[in-house]
Amino acid sequence: MEKGKSVPAFWSKEDWQAIWIGFIIILLACIAVLTKAFDLSAVKFSTWAVGEAAATKAVPLAEQLGSWVFWRKLIVTVLVLGTLFTIGVKLQGESVKKYIPAFLGLFVIALIVRFVSAEFTLNRYLEWAFWALLIGLLISNTVGVPDWLKPAIKTEFYIKTGLVIMGFSVLFSNIAKFGLYGLGIAWIVTPIVILFMWWLGTKVFKMDNKPLVITLASATSVCGTSAAIATGAASGAKKNDLSIAISISIIFTILMMVFEPMIIKAAGMNQLMGGALIGGTVDSTGAVVLAGNALGPEAEQAAVLVKSIQNILIGFIAFFVAIFFATRVDRNSEKKVGAGEIWTRFPKFILGFFAASLIASFIIQPLCGSSAVKEINGVLDQYKNWAFVLAFTSIGLDTNFKEIVKQMQGGKVLWLYIIGQTFNIALTLFAVWFLLSGVVFDVPVLDLYK
Amino acid sequence: MVTILVVVAILVCALWIMANKLGLAPGYDFGAGAYYYADIPGYEEIFRDDVYKTNVPYWVHVVLFLCWGWLMYRLWIWIDKRK
Repeated sequence: MEKGKSVPAFWSKEDWQAIWIGFIIILLACIAVLTKAFDLSAVKFSTWAVGEAAATKAVPLAEQLGSWVFWRKLIVTVLVLGTLFTIGVKLQGESVKKYIPAFLGLFVIALIVRFVSAEFTLNRYLEWAFWALLIGLLISNTVGVPDWLKPAIKTEFYIKTGLVIMGFSVLFSNIAKFGLYGLGIAWIVTPIVILFMWWLGTKVFKMDNKPLVITLASATSVCGTSAAIATGAASGAKKNDLSIAISISIIFTILMMVFEPMIIKAAGMNQLMGGALIGGTVDSTGAVVLAGNALGPEAEQAAVLVKSIQNILIGFIAFFVAIFFATRVDRNSEKKVGAGEIWTRFPKFILGFFAASLIASFIIQPLCGSSAVKEINGVLDQYKNWAFVLAFTSIGLDTNFKEIVKQMQGGKVLWLYIIGQTFNIALTLFAVWFLLSGVVFDVPVLDLYK
Repeated sequence: MVTILVVVAILVCALWIMANKLGLAPGYDFGAGAYYYADIPGYEEIFRDDVYKTNVPYWVHVVLFLCWGWLMYRLWIWIDKRK
């Protein structure tokens, strides 16, 4: 920037930039889908497999890479994200000359991450976030990160932008999809679990790292990776906090996806109750669908409905976490924090997340229909994934193994998750029994689609 | 020591599940890791407006949602203040 000229905060601060970059992408996706004037789809590897092509769904790599569409989408993705992030960096007053080659280098690593995480077995169990962290860590802890790549390591910038884009997929209209039953199971239990884990982590385990406690609590009680990213950003969690919370959540999700339906079947619970229990307790939404499916169609539908309500909570929980940390955790004295100070400390990108969610729920969906919103979200989902992959690769590149081991605090973090998740399952089981067993209330009837 | 044993057991279990491809559903092109909500077969039907019929108005859900959220926030502050 020219000396003496200052750029207003709305254009130069990372939080505000995340909002306008996110909204430019949302706007472009809406125009592309609604007018069909151009194709904004970002590049994505289809599932590929080694050996006997275990999967009927697998698309051979040669076929993917030999397609012009793949390369066109790759160019579109680099141009859209590269241009917007470069403008942001320029307005932050940093060197564009250094950022552009660094961004391209980071994007190539992110492309490798997405390639690896598209392999049949790997992509069915471990999210791209896991592979991004692992590949970043492998680079930083072996060959090291070259200086020219460092200007592109902007974890928070990418995370915040991805969250604003993600806001468009959080449809508030889903809140009443399963009536008061769904609201009771998803919304009564979730905050209680968060508060329990907060109390356990900060008062019983005496953990000083409060952002880590709240990030892990949200990942456990809401919806895994997405919730961890949102609350981590809202609470100012460090990169290692996010890595740990997400890794624990991803690994346990694999176990819960397989064992929870087995236990539910063995216990003789009916499909409606079993599905609702799965929807309320399994962290990742994909795993919820599969675990519900293992019990039957009614269970799958109940599980998805309960989970879709939980997904709405991400923005609200991140909002209250931001207020809580601004007023109670980050303050320097016992004095009450004024509204102006709260506003200064408040992570503004959360407003972008909310605005995107409200626009999708109450403007685009009623005006253009659910199928249009689905199609727009199909485009946005990939941009969100790219922003998060860039972020998690940055985290991996900026971390060393020793720091992560130290952050585990002698296993306290693991036990916080295990005890918190056990409490989550017990409380959700009680809510499911209370609401859906027919002992207290009438059993609801779902109009099954299968 | 117990923590290390638990970590090892969890990792072995997760790897065993992955190696045996447990928990996947034929016809579903996603798992716990790769997922997009519109990938669920029959997605439109699951999220149809009349999938569950209730006489409780939408605004009641929103009011209850907000009230419970506010109450829990106050409880959080109370818990945090306690030594």
